[in-house]
Amino acid sequence: MELTAAEQRMLDGEEGEGVRKAIELVVALGKIYGAEGLVPIRSAHISGVSYKTIGDGGISYLEHVSEESKVRVPSTLNPSGMDSQRWREMGISEDFARKQLHIIELYERMGVDTTCSCTPYLGGNLPRLGEHVAWAESSALSMVNSMVGARTNREGGPGALAAAIAGRTADYGLHREENRAPTVIIEAETDGSLFQHSLLGQAVGSAIGNGIPYFRGIRPRWEEAKIMAAAMAASGAVAMFHVEGVTPEAADHDLSGLETVHMSEGELLQAQERLTTTEDADLIAFGCPHLSEREIKEMAAFLEGKEKRSDVTVWFCTSRQVRESMPREVEVLERFGPVLADTCMVVTPVEGLFANSASDSAKACNYLPTLCSQKVRCDSFERLMEVVL
Amino acid sequence: MIIEGRAISPGRAEGEVLLIEDDFSFLGGVDPASGELRTGPGGNVSGRVLVFPRGKGSTVGSYTIFDLSSRDLGPAAIINSAAETIVTTGAVISGIPLVDRVDLSVLRSGDRALVDGNDGSVELLGVELREVVTGMVQHRDKVLIMRRSHEVSYFQGMWGGVSGRIEEGESPTQAALREMEEETGLDAELLKKGEPFLVRGGDTVWRVHPLLFSAEGEPRINWEHSEHRWIRPRELPENSVPRLDEVLRRLGL
Repeated sequence: MELTAAEQRMLDGEEGEGVRKAIELVVALGKIYGAEGLVPIRSAHISGVSYKTIGDGGISYLEHVSEESKVRVPSTLNPSGMDSQRWREMGISEDFARKQLHIIELYERMGVDTTCSCTPYLGGNLPRLGEHVAWAESSALSMVNSMVGARTNREGGPGALAAAIAGRTADYGLHREENRAPTVIIEAETDGSLFQHSLLGQAVGSAIGNGIPYFRGIRPRWEEAKIMAAAMAASGAVAMFHVEGVTPEAADHDLSGLETVHMSEGELLQAQERLTTTEDADLIAFGCPHLSEREIKEMAAFLEGKEKRSDVTVWFCTSRQVRESMPREVEVLERFGPVLADTCMVVTPVEGLFANSASDSAKACNYLPTLCSQKVRCDSFERLMEVVL
Repeated sequence: MIIEGRAISPGRAEGEVLLIEDDFSFLGGVDPASGELRTGPGGNVSGRVLVFPRGKGSTVGSYTIFDLSSRDLGPAAIINSAAETIVTTGAVISGIPLVDRVDLSVLRSGDRALVDGNDGSVELLGVELREVVTGMVQHRDKVLIMRRSHEVSYFQGMWGGVSGRIEEGESPTQAALREMEEETGLDAELLKKGEPFLVRGGDTVWRVHPLLFSAEGEPRINWEHSEHRWIRPRELPENSVPRLDEVLRRLGL
């Protein structure tokens, strides 16, 4: 691998042990993927925050890194295992909470913005077209690759943190123009609803694995795009997609010779059936990825004047910024269940609290069985809310 | 002997090889409290040169490696055939040397290995490398195999091609032509060279250089063989010398 003089000095330890170790990891990961060099990054988004997923090993690693390192580019954090303010109400144990707050404090010590959200692009971390970034969180990185045209690979937690400390990541994969072309055309037929975009993502991810789909027939807003991106990254390993007439790089590529796959109602229903393992729900959770202001506004409009008639728990998951910015709508939702910030149904220890969970997010429905031992119902917001109305 | 691989995580360490045949996940695969393996051959990873084809499983595995090694329970070094993100991350953040692109078939549990993650080499201590040729003679759609006599040192009674050590200063082709003359008396012409590969037997590793020749007529076999046969490449006898099928494969037969 070819390093610049500045990068070589970092690797030789001239900027301290923390930087040396960070760039060592960036270089090692680059070698595996055949990178010929590094590329400077403008931002990072770091996963590996929930105590539930990183455990004590993760804490001892972060303690070690935070002693000698600071991030050198704007960096944000993925959801944690609990709402930092309302964890008691969520049923989180004292021990879990103490460790979770410690993890967040360790990231803060390194200079990371500790708004814990999987939609940092809706907050202050929105890259620009063509910018190189190092993002973990499969849905978020797919969104900035696709909707913004920024460039990132699927970074892991420690890799994204190392890139943030070194200010660089390895130059391979989606950082390079030639690897951003579509690999398959998807002719989609949907009713345009958010939920069908979720199912479409599920069906496409299962069908194409780690390819780059080029969609025709849909015009997603950010809300539909994010639930679809999340599903494609969970059922497959899709890190980028194009949508005709919507995404900024869609027109840049030659589509001749690409296979076309049709996705219509039948495939979407099949995807829903495969995810659904129960008709019951003790928890109904929305906000995977975190709800946007617009979604909260639309949900509040739907629920305004209605009453909750069941003791089934409902969670609305969003970022702290969004929750604080719209107190009126939040108040409407709160009559049905807590509007939780900093966390979500996948990374919080749901398994100790519920057995059957329901969500409109295909991503959540992929992970709830494996990460949280849940039986799952996958359905739309409106149909799931019928349970409690 | 020294095996050339690819340097992934820097550092240098020596230890006893612990070989796991299958892809391996540190999360679940090893008890973080003790370093004991929960899968594969069993044993303890602490201080060992841990060898497995490729990492798999949860990304939390990187932290498991860090956790183990921060309590001095981690492996001394890791060798993979193909490194991936989880194990690479764990190795680098824990300061454990990692070398990949190594042919794991030459490693045995119990070997002592010196892993150099700076230059990407693995030294197998007490194991000797021998450069050998295996020449196959082709005539029309058949190849010549010969049965090794009871007077040769290795693989007595088994079927093989023309074979022998490459002497000091000899090229593989020269060695094969010399052996060809000694073992068959045939006037052979080189058709093709195959990529060399490694075969482990006891404390020896043979680097086998496959070569393909054409020749007319019947061989005059010497004391090294007891009989010969012309066979189609797909009809190799059961009791052939190890990896003779690989020789044929590498010669495109």
